[in-house]
Amino acid sequence: MKYLNFLILLFAFSNVFAQPNCEAYKYYGDTLKYEACKKAMEISGHYQFSKKYQTILDESIEIDPTFDYAYWAKSIAYLKSGDFVSWKKLIDKAVELKPKNHLGYRGWCRYQFFRDYKGAIKDFEKLDSLVGYDIGQSQNGTYHLNIAKGLCYKAIGEKEKAVQIIEKQIKLNEKENFIGSYDYLHLGVLYLELGNFEKAIELFKKQSKDNELAENQYYLALAYKNLNKKTEYKSCLEKAKELYIGQSRMFDFYSNPMDKVYLENIENEIKTAYNNGHR
Amino acid sequence: MKKSILKVTLLFSILCSCQSEIKTSEKEKYLRWVGDIEQNDQIDETAFKVCNGDDKILQYFNLGNGPIYAGEKSKVLNTFKSKYKPISGKKENGLIRIRFIVNCEGKAGRFRVVQSDYDYQEKEFDDEIVSQLLNITKGIENWEVLKQNEVPIDYYMYLIFKITDGQLTEILP
Repeated sequence: MKYLNFLILLFAFSNVFAQPNCEAYKYYGDTLKYEACKKAMEISGHYQFSKKYQTILDESIEIDPTFDYAYWAKSIAYLKSGDFVSWKKLIDKAVELKPKNHLGYRGWCRYQFFRDYKGAIKDFEKLDSLVGYDIGQSQNGTYHLNIAKGLCYKAIGEKEKAVQIIEKQIKLNEKENFIGSYDYLHLGVLYLELGNFEKAIELFKKQSKDNELAENQYYLALAYKNLNKKTEYKSCLEKAKELYIGQSRMFDFYSNPMDKVYLENIENEIKTAYNNGHR
Repeated sequence: MKKSILKVTLLFSILCSCQSEIKTSEKEKYLRWVGDIEQNDQIDETAFKVCNGDDKILQYFNLGNGPIYAGEKSKVLNTFKSKYKPISGKKENGLIRIRFIVNCEGKAGRFRVVQSDYDYQEKEFDDEIVSQLLNITKGIENWEVLKQNEVPIDYYMYLIFKITDGQLTEILP
């Protein structure tokens, strides 16, 4: 888990994973792309939003308008400032030039920043159809892209399909000993929503062992409530509040993750427990 | 023959010079940062001031704490839920983003709107939808005061609204 958290941090603030190898273009005789690549590498040390960063990439595109990396790198600031119109034009260009490299990323951003569930599913499935290898992780490292795909299916109402996709990916993640920070929690919430409370509890317990969160205890409480286990219901809610105040909660640097709860939700549920004489 | 070559050359050089002018102006289009909002006295409240100068305005996520709302996001959700009135009979769909600056006192100003359909193609929503969202956003009196090294900062924040059949279905981030 600690290793995973470290990876998540690394993913969140770095573009290093997507940096092209300029020398490879030279080796294969594509001198134009080599020059565009060398120019683009001058962005190093400049902030993604800055005039200098954007101008360098414009120059790179002027050298070779088919250099996908420059469009991708330019798009980031527009994405993060919520300018979906400009972002989409740039990232589409990168996808058009190198679909295998950018489809997974575009799909993830559609989900993470704009909750564009159908668009994200389309991108993930297109990528899957194009490659014979694992489609990989989300840009921030939090999810395998198949887990994100499952969450998108849940959001458009296809919960059974979401369960199948997420369950299958979790099994693979378990084999690799590379469980995502919120994998069990999301699957547990799905089972909770489908009315399979025992299965939900089983998953929330796994989440507790892997990465305990306020949300996990909150949903665990709801599962116990449905099974009329009042003592567990109450104690989980109290634990949820304690965890929330202690900052052990779902987090994303740019948005609010799916299934996140707020202190207000926990406190309202505690009030319900009081009013119904659960205390 | 000579004349026609001269004409072609002249035309070509004019075209080239136009192109380079476009490129130069494209380069000049960037402000300090992508998305920077300059004060426009014709549309912006003149009473709204940033505290530390325009060149020091950060993005909401620059401090690494994610999006933070005064009273948590649930308060913002409740505000829109209670105040936004769906426009009946309007099958409007897409995304509306309202971006603005939150100053060191937690006050917001310089609101800017971007609108698109669900294919990210720019479009204009019915004004009744946009003006409602804008007015509700402007009506939020207090935003989270973010601090860097104990000093309150100015920062860019935005809200993205997902509109389906005129109904407000989600608010991001």
